Amino acid sequence: MASFALGKYIPYKTPIHRMDPRVKVLGMIFLMVAVFFSYSTFSMTFSVMGAIALFIIVIMIISKTSFLKLLRSLKSLWFMIIFLLIIYVVVPKNDVTEMHVAFAIKGYNFYWESFLDAARILLRLVLMIGLSMVLTATTSPLDLTYALEWYMTPLKVIGFPAHIIAMTISLALRFIPTILEDVNRIMKAQTSRGVDFEHGGFGKKIKAIISLIIPLFVSAFIRSDELANAMECRGYDPNGKRTKYRKMHFKWSDALALVVVAAILGGCIYMKVINFDLFNILLGEGAVL
Amino acid sequence: MSKILEVKNLQFSYEKETPVIKDVSFDVEEGSYVCLIGHNGSGKSTLAKILAGLLSDWEGSVKVFGLEVNRDNIREIRSKLGLVFQNPDNQFVGSTVRDDMAFGLENRRIPTEEMDGIINKYAGEAGMIQFLDSSPENLSGGQKQRVAIAGILAINPDLIIYDEATSMLDPSGKKDILSLTLKLKEENPRLTVFSITHDVEEAWRADKVIVFNHGEIVLEGTPTEVFSHTKELQEIRLEAPFIISLINALRKQGIDIPDSIKTEEELEDFLCR
Repeated sequence: MASFALGKYIPYKTPIHRMDPRVKVLGMIFLMVAVFFSYSTFSMTFSVMGAIALFIIVIMIISKTSFLKLLRSLKSLWFMIIFLLIIYVVVPKNDVTEMHVAFAIKGYNFYWESFLDAARILLRLVLMIGLSMVLTATTSPLDLTYALEWYMTPLKVIGFPAHIIAMTISLALRFIPTILEDVNRIMKAQTSRGVDFEHGGFGKKIKAIISLIIPLFVSAFIRSDELANAMECRGYDPNGKRTKYRKMHFKWSDALALVVVAAILGGCIYMKVINFDLFNILLGEGAVL
Repeated sequence: MSKILEVKNLQFSYEKETPVIKDVSFDVEEGSYVCLIGHNGSGKSTLAKILAGLLSDWEGSVKVFGLEVNRDNIREIRSKLGLVFQNPDNQFVGSTVRDDMAFGLENRRIPTEEMDGIINKYAGEAGMIQFLDSSPENLSGGQKQRVAIAGILAINPDLIIYDEATSMLDPSGKKDILSLTLKLKEENPRLTVFSITHDVEEAWRADKVIVFNHGEIVLEGTPTEVFSHTKELQEIRLEAPFIISLINALRKQGIDIPDSIKTEEELEDFLCR
């Protein structure tokens, strides 16, 4: 589940990888918002979403993000998907004026619109997972932290410690492999003392886990104490001024990418505001799809 | 020669009844390599923490670079002092060697443009140049300690303190760090190294050895002097390095071996001549 939540950074050298992380974060937010719009008709909604989906697919191909992984991450969401489908199909709708009955079971009507609605939500979900996967696969966690720190910088005015939080996150990321090593070592040590992590009922398993968690916490506290000492000795002052080794560079290509994404979002907002309907214009007034 | 470290009548205890350090006084001269040896729990590491200003409420006087260790001076002292800790993992701050070395530079407000040059120079000196983009989990303990040393060299220190820097390393890692230290000392005669250790082989290569037991200095002097006190060392369960036992045994057999011989290789050369 952890790999799903964070995604895994895959260090290729594609144009997307080289992009300024700040632009990537903002671009992802823009596209996520764009995905969230729905329009007056389903045909319009689906065609706009389809266009955005195409755009995201192109980005995924450029950044070498694997589609297989996207599908795999959906697998862990199957329960939610089924739940959504049931909710949308079974619960009757009042806000849609025109409903078309798809079929009826024992006098209860199932409408086409309900299925379309569920499909819309599903598509949204897939697109959003795809987007966040592109971001996490092409941006190292550290770069992501720096980008978030940059966006939080204005909050420093009201005393929000953006730089301290960024340092904390980067230290946490740095120590994930170290702590995992600890977990493995402690598990082996406890297994050799007769603790069984794999068999037994719920109570036994809880007991086994406690024998892992407590030494793990002790070791983590010792580590953090020593780390704090080491950092202090090396002159770290959380409130002091520091220079930055890794500077983010906003390039022309980043500006271009930002313009493209902003244009997509702007277009979506514009179409929404003026109630634009492409099919109405193409097929004439009153055409129903 | 000026004194880099001056400790006078130092006393310290974590809990009132049990003093960890009882009335300790010693000096470290500029440009020397001093080893403080003693067993676990003898108060060695506590001493290192006091020198770096990580503890407070001690009694007596501790001066580093002629400055009293206190809140006002600690920044200035730390800007010229580097401490290498025991656990290689717990002092690795950056996600790569490059970032870890940069951490110390960032703290000291070195301009970004100068960092890469400094990092390359000192990573080269510590023999880590080919690992600059490696992350800590792909490095051995010895390599991580090399990175810690490189990170300290990058800030151009006058004093390096090892707090049992080699005690978690395998024998080859220990040898590695020792030869690196000796190389650095040779290149920069002004550099002072104060090493807290229980590795007698390392102490044997130092200029001066201080033997510590139960918070007190038991013996002090050149390695040859200190390790000639075999009995006293045995009482506190420290064994003289193998090379010394060997030289002493040979001398008993009537072979005259000069004091200048420090390593097994040198002894071999001498005997084969």
